Amino acid sequence: MKWPSFGAIASVAYKEFLHIYRDKRVLLLLLILPPLFTLLFGHAFETTEIGGVPALLINRDSTPRTERFLAIISKNKTFRWRKEPPEFNRESDLLGNHVQASLVIPAGWSDSINSGDPKPLPFYLDGSDTNTASALEGSVQLSLAEFQSKERDLIVETLPEEVIELGKKLPVDIRKQFVSLMTAWSADSKLLYNPKSRFIDYVVPGIIGLILQLLTVTLMACTIARERESGTLYQLMVTSLQRGEIVIGKILPYLAVSICLIVVINLVTWLHFHVPFYQPPVLALICLLFLLCSLGLGLLISAFSRTQTQAIQFSVFFLLPVFVLSGAFAPLEQLPQTIRYISELFPLTHFCRAFRLVNMYHAAPPFYLADLIVLFAGAIITFLGAAFLLKRIEQ
Amino acid sequence: MKEPAIVLKDLSKSFGSVHAVQNLSLTIAPGTIFGFLGANGAGKTTTIRMLCGLTRPTGGTAAIARHDVWKDRQFVRTQFGYVAQRFSIYRDLTVVENLRFFGGACRVPRSELEKRIENLLRLSDLEAKRDTEAGSLSGGMRQLLALACALVHDPPLLFLDEPTSGLDPVHRQQIWNLLYDLSNQGKTIFVTTHYMDEAERCTEVGFLHNGRLLAKDSPRTLKSNFRTRLLEIDVEPLMPGLVRVRTVPGILGVSLRSGSLRIYAPEPEKLIESWRERWPFPDLKLLEERWVEPDMEDVFTAYSQGYEQLLKKSTT
Repeated sequence: MKWPSFGAIASVAYKEFLHIYRDKRVLLLLLILPPLFTLLFGHAFETTEIGGVPALLINRDSTPRTERFLAIISKNKTFRWRKEPPEFNRESDLLGNHVQASLVIPAGWSDSINSGDPKPLPFYLDGSDTNTASALEGSVQLSLAEFQSKERDLIVETLPEEVIELGKKLPVDIRKQFVSLMTAWSADSKLLYNPKSRFIDYVVPGIIGLILQLLTVTLMACTIARERESGTLYQLMVTSLQRGEIVIGKILPYLAVSICLIVVINLVTWLHFHVPFYQPPVLALICLLFLLCSLGLGLLISAFSRTQTQAIQFSVFFLLPVFVLSGAFAPLEQLPQTIRYISELFPLTHFCRAFRLVNMYHAAPPFYLADLIVLFAGAIITFLGAAFLLKRIEQ
Repeated sequence: MKEPAIVLKDLSKSFGSVHAVQNLSLTIAPGTIFGFLGANGAGKTTTIRMLCGLTRPTGGTAAIARHDVWKDRQFVRTQFGYVAQRFSIYRDLTVVENLRFFGGACRVPRSELEKRIENLLRLSDLEAKRDTEAGSLSGGMRQLLALACALVHDPPLLFLDEPTSGLDPVHRQQIWNLLYDLSNQGKTIFVTTHYMDEAERCTEVGFLHNGRLLAKDSPRTLKSNFRTRLLEIDVEPLMPGLVRVRTVPGILGVSLRSGSLRIYAPEPEKLIESWRERWPFPDLKLLEERWVEPDMEDVFTAYSQGYEQLLKKSTT
């Protein structure tokens, strides 16, 4: 086996570049899709806060106290309340009322509070989406807690003088404990790694990885399959080209195109979404390894498929689980342990993790070295696999 | 005698239980235009692909310029150009881009490449189409381009798998003229074809039938292998005549040539004798009879249909 010749690789790379350049439709796709998808996905995942959820509010207990509660709950931005009269009785028909929740203040609620046995407020929730339901419930609880503490302050302010005097007779430490009990206890949250709590900062590697993987794998998967389909593969193989030269020559133009795409996507996220990039050279290295790994995978699929149709089908079957299981848009920790082992097989998983470790955690190399090694190994294995499969074609 | 260009010894290829090529032994001298004849599925393409190192022989050996076509395929590939049966040139690349790519892939030195491309463009008469995408060329021009691409590294040997199938007579002639020129330059040409008039143009012909070589000789020798002259008759009406005459006992086959019936029979003299005495078809009119010399199509028919009674015993 001789060393690959530069001239031979350049011939293959130039030819491959011409294929991309001549296919105007794919070229247009390459120019338009990445920035468009970045804008689209970026805005879709810009924030995870839930707000303006349509909900019904039915007050069957017209008292000053309920009015005070209504004032508080009306200010809750999570909901867009639609008030219904007390006699409205279809509060559980969320679908029919085109709402996702309905809150009822039952008749005699104020009295039940006064009598020391507070009635619960019936709260109907659309449980089809578990995340939304628990978020809505939490939001109502917050409003209730705010109302409760204001009511307590009102009661304390209007306590008769003798009760205060009586209180003063309590031992100091007991009294102080009472005072503590009267205020809400809180955790002093200090947000690390994403202080502005912007979901877009978290999701950027997911967006980059998704678009790149989609384009690189599908485009690359077609290259050898196309030659096989058109019969040019045999013509290619009776030349003096070695398999390594074919593989490298085919990868190079796609690598150049993908690097341009990365630059475009990052420019959009930086200029439009103001996502900061920490240590750009390290991020670039992570992107490069990920690209090589994706291109290698595409090449492997390509060498494996007999036709372009097959190549596209294989790519889709590979990409589908990647999108769901790679942790691109949701933390891997939400997945069961067994599934997470599978996730570790996908290059996108390692890319997202390494990218976040650098860009959000500002982590030192030892933290993401393992991911880089996996990506690098993936690239090598897929390239060798593709070259091996090409050898099989000869026999 | 000069060293042979191609030597095949018991070359065989089986796909499972299907024997595509069986014990093929051949020697082809340099400068020969070797016509490889056989029906579809006879094993012609498999043989060519074994010689190109694209598929591994399951038995026997083949050598080009004394190098094994499988073990030394990396070297052997520098010795030949290959024009596949299907159009296998990049359709979205222009004529010049294709030539330049194959030149680079075959490691033609950069300094020499442009000169050679100009030469090939002139040779293949594609100068006016140099910047046309290969996919928009006509069938004949595509084939000329494929030939030019196969010649870009100036190989001493050329494999052509049905290079003229589906082409009009003008382009067929053009391609054959090109092949004569190349042969004249000393190149060995190995060409498969269905067309018998093309077999006449070869200096040597091999008949492949069901993976076996039935005969290999010059067209002239092959034609002289016929034991008898061939009987040709004119009857009216023609088509019923063809159908009826075919069923006469003692006739192996009948083919239609320029409106006459050419009869393959082991003893045509006896046959015409008996017909002169009594013509067996009252509704058909025997207009004329004549004797003709066999041509390559007759040779092909005799070999592929197994009309051994027509051939001299000595040849196999």
